[in-house]
Amino acid sequence: MGLVTIAVRNIWRNKLRTVLTLSAVTVLVIFFLLLRTVIWSWTASAEQGARDRIGTRHKVSFIMQLPRRYVEEIRSVPGVKQVAHASWFGAKDPNHTDDFFSTIAVEPKEFLEVYDEIKVPKDQVEAWKQDRQGAIVGDVLAKKRGWKLGQKVVLQGTIYPGDWEFHVSGIYTADSPTVDRSTLWFQYKYLDESRAPRLQDQVGWIMARVDDPGRAAEIAKAVDKKFDDRDIQTLSMSERALQASFLGMVSAILRLIDVVSFVMVLIMGLILGNTIAMGVRERTHEYGVLRAIGFLPKHIVLFILSEGLALGMLGGLIGLAIGYPFVQKGMGPAMEENMGAFFAFFRVTPELVVASFFLASGLGLAAAIIPARTASKLEVVSALRRVG
Amino acid sequence: MIPLTYNVRSLLIRKTTTVATALGIGLVVFVLASAFMLGTGITKTMVGAGRSDNAIVLRKGSDTEMASSLEVNTLGLIGAAPGVKHSNAGTSLLSGEVVIVIAQDKLGTQGQVSNVLVRGVPATALEVRPEVHVIAGHPPRPGTDEVMVGKGLRGKFAGMDLEQSFELKKNRPVKVVGIFESGGSSFESEVWCDVDTARSSFGRDGLVSSVTVRLDSPSKFDAFKATMESDKRLGLEALTETGYYEKQSSGTALFIKIMGGVIVFFLSGGAMIGALITMLAAVSQRQREIGTLRALGFSRFSILTSFLLESSVLSLAGGLLGIACALCMSFVKLSMMNFATWQEVTFSFDPNPAVLLGSLVFGGLMGILGGFYPALRAASVSPIEAMRG
Amino acid sequence: MSDAEKGAAKGTMISLEKVRKSFTRGREQLDVLAGLDLKIEEGSFDALMGPSGSGKSTLLNLIAGLDQPTSGKVIIGGADIGSMNEGQRAGWRASNIGFVFQTYNLMPVLTAVENVELPLLLAKLPAAERRKRAEIALRAVGLEDRAGHLPSQLSGGQEQRVTIARAIVTDPKIIVADEPTGDLDRTSADEILKLLEKLNTEFGKTIVMVTHDPAAAERAKVVHRLDKGVLAN
Repeated sequence: MGLVTIAVRNIWRNKLRTVLTLSAVTVLVIFFLLLRTVIWSWTASAEQGARDRIGTRHKVSFIMQLPRRYVEEIRSVPGVKQVAHASWFGAKDPNHTDDFFSTIAVEPKEFLEVYDEIKVPKDQVEAWKQDRQGAIVGDVLAKKRGWKLGQKVVLQGTIYPGDWEFHVSGIYTADSPTVDRSTLWFQYKYLDESRAPRLQDQVGWIMARVDDPGRAAEIAKAVDKKFDDRDIQTLSMSERALQASFLGMVSAILRLIDVVSFVMVLIMGLILGNTIAMGVRERTHEYGVLRAIGFLPKHIVLFILSEGLALGMLGGLIGLAIGYPFVQKGMGPAMEENMGAFFAFFRVTPELVVASFFLASGLGLAAAIIPARTASKLEVVSALRRVG
Repeated sequence: MIPLTYNVRSLLIRKTTTVATALGIGLVVFVLASAFMLGTGITKTMVGAGRSDNAIVLRKGSDTEMASSLEVNTLGLIGAAPGVKHSNAGTSLLSGEVVIVIAQDKLGTQGQVSNVLVRGVPATALEVRPEVHVIAGHPPRPGTDEVMVGKGLRGKFAGMDLEQSFELKKNRPVKVVGIFESGGSSFESEVWCDVDTARSSFGRDGLVSSVTVRLDSPSKFDAFKATMESDKRLGLEALTETGYYEKQSSGTALFIKIMGGVIVFFLSGGAMIGALITMLAAVSQRQREIGTLRALGFSRFSILTSFLLESSVLSLAGGLLGIACALCMSFVKLSMMNFATWQEVTFSFDPNPAVLLGSLVFGGLMGILGGFYPALRAASVSPIEAMRG
Repeated sequence: MSDAEKGAAKGTMISLEKVRKSFTRGREQLDVLAGLDLKIEEGSFDALMGPSGSGKSTLLNLIAGLDQPTSGKVIIGGADIGSMNEGQRAGWRASNIGFVFQTYNLMPVLTAVENVELPLLLAKLPAAERRKRAEIALRAVGLEDRAGHLPSQLSGGQEQRVTIARAIVTDPKIIVADEPTGDLDRTSADEILKLLEKLNTEFGKTIVMVTHDPAAAERAKVVHRLDKGVLAN
């Protein structure tokens, strides 16, 4: 038995108040986990962006297309290993018009070479190559729609109007957790051959694998320089830089979420501080008795700080015990499925778990500092005079 | 009825606890109000661009102006449709516009590129959209490389201020001759140039992205829409301008509102528990006081309402503080990506009185809900407590 | 035995000389004790009585080393505690004084034996040793079978007995009691007073007690009456 253990036991003096305080802390910890995971999930895709791939698009606008012959020209730039092109199609499932997923036209062989995180069984790849209207579909999307291999899927084009029929040749997964598994990749020739002659032989953007990730920025510049004096210029950057610039556009939201997390921490601190201060005030006589027996002000401080720390730690543990499964197993898959375009990977990192625990504990400790100082400064005689 | 001053004085005596609890509630009200102010701000910005007596014609199946393209020869057909208003000169009030989103260098960041919407407009555009006012300089003259820049973009991107110039694309510089505002709508985050300049710069010869027409009145829309969509070969789709912008903003605004809702759900849970803790402590501290009141003859009901009032006063005080801070947010401007069009739009926090009042009421509700159980406890105190030593 | 012999046999435990204690309230200065002299012999059982506001609690606080006199000397067991700072007095109290207050003496989250152990935490004794001494103290007050009970499971009288056990567990010379029977019914009060008497006669503890209770005063050997900060006898 020591002062610290007594302090921990003291938490349960007022059971109702402690339960309420712990409930509040728990709710806020769960919320904290959710918020930080949202931020992490958004930024993680930027961190995971491949460093050895660069993307090239039309310099003026991402809506405008590049000539297809640029693909071979990029291949000849020193440092470039493999090249593939992709074109945004933008289609909707007529049965679920509000559900957004990506549809992109590519040339199967080159695409899978450059974008090798995509994993498809060999036989499905062959089937795809053979079928002009074939497509590979992400497993998350396939599961959601109930699409099976060989299924005929009809989608409505938004940029290229009309009904487009695709055949599910393969279902892909990815070994990198941040790859979107809700995309439909189909054959470029199906798109190109079906559109008006003056729109043919154009591609949306071009991806290239470089041999040295450290030189990615340099090689990207070299690509742009090559097309600098043409009618149509390019803008190239490493995939990671691309994700970062996308993040830049939503940075305002991320900052807002940061502000909200801060507010939440404040509220948690207020509740903890309030509870601890109340407890300290009620036990003033008791501290007086301890001082009378011979305990020093520093002992009283230790006593109160331990109680605050223990309260915070306990709240953090309970919050994590409930919050972690909730976000990880409950919300995680739901977010990945329904908002996979934004949150391809919605998981609680170990760092966040540790950080949340330390946050709650630290707040408990911090909240106890002022009550502890006030209590320790009180004269023994004054403390004894207070009753109850 | 127990006078309110009793409650107010009791709150003032336990200063620290009262302040801490009120602050907690104030914070939640602040977040709630700000989130919804942003939501309405977004809607106001986006939908503010629309009039109910304007209709916008797109290619069928396209969700946005950017994805749509129509041939120039459809302009005549559209202008001749029933319900389209004609100017005094007898020409139809329509504006065929070329819309494109381009990458431009954002100022204040290290070469960070962001998207800006460029709208190529004919001379009739300002007639069809009278809410657009040039506040500095003059509108771009047709057939020139002049542009005017929306208020929201001014100074945010390189070359986008009066007398400055930037490039629409390589070797296609344009000069900024005017700044315009449009009552806070999303047009303020656009660059307007001459429609032919846009066409030739972006390879849209013979095309427009969308056609906006003024109708004689909002009621003429249905007939107009029917005419537009009757010929399947043309493949047209018509929406009211307000309808179009609502669709555009719904994604973003909904996102903000859902996030706001989730945030408030969790935060208010915490704050309510805080209020509950405080009021419970107050009740147990004042057992003797309450007993005395009962002994004096006050009914259980009056005690109940008295304590409910006390927690309401507490939470309303916090709520007022929260509202005051939220009002300060109306001076903040947020540059965010509009998910529908990928352009960067400037949004503001709209100090909507309904939102503010609603948030204040919510704050009060938090207090009442949190204080309900303690008030019941208070009401159950018997007069005997007054005599306990 | 003559006074001198008594004095020689036992000696003075507590000696207050010209002790003054004042408090400042705003601009006013209140003299609670005004130049008081008091001697208490070792092994004595003294009661301090007087009306409300007479300064008896203040006097007790000085004797117990809980407070410092504004002027004058407080010498207890040969030590000049009046000139010690609070830190030194705390240490002195731990080995020399046992406390019994009117109410709220015990920590609700600790069992009886754990409450008794509290003062020993300061002595840095190993846990087993602490437990042994606490049990001995509880046996002395007749509550060894309640060692594992929480204060909420004890009656008022039993709580005070545990308090007394805690007061003697460090084997102090002096026991200071502030209205020890104030909250108790007649039977329990008598039990406590009998116990205090036992501590005095059998264990030789010097006891100084502030009380309103005439029955308590009767058990004491010497009664001091205080009025407006001055001793009456």
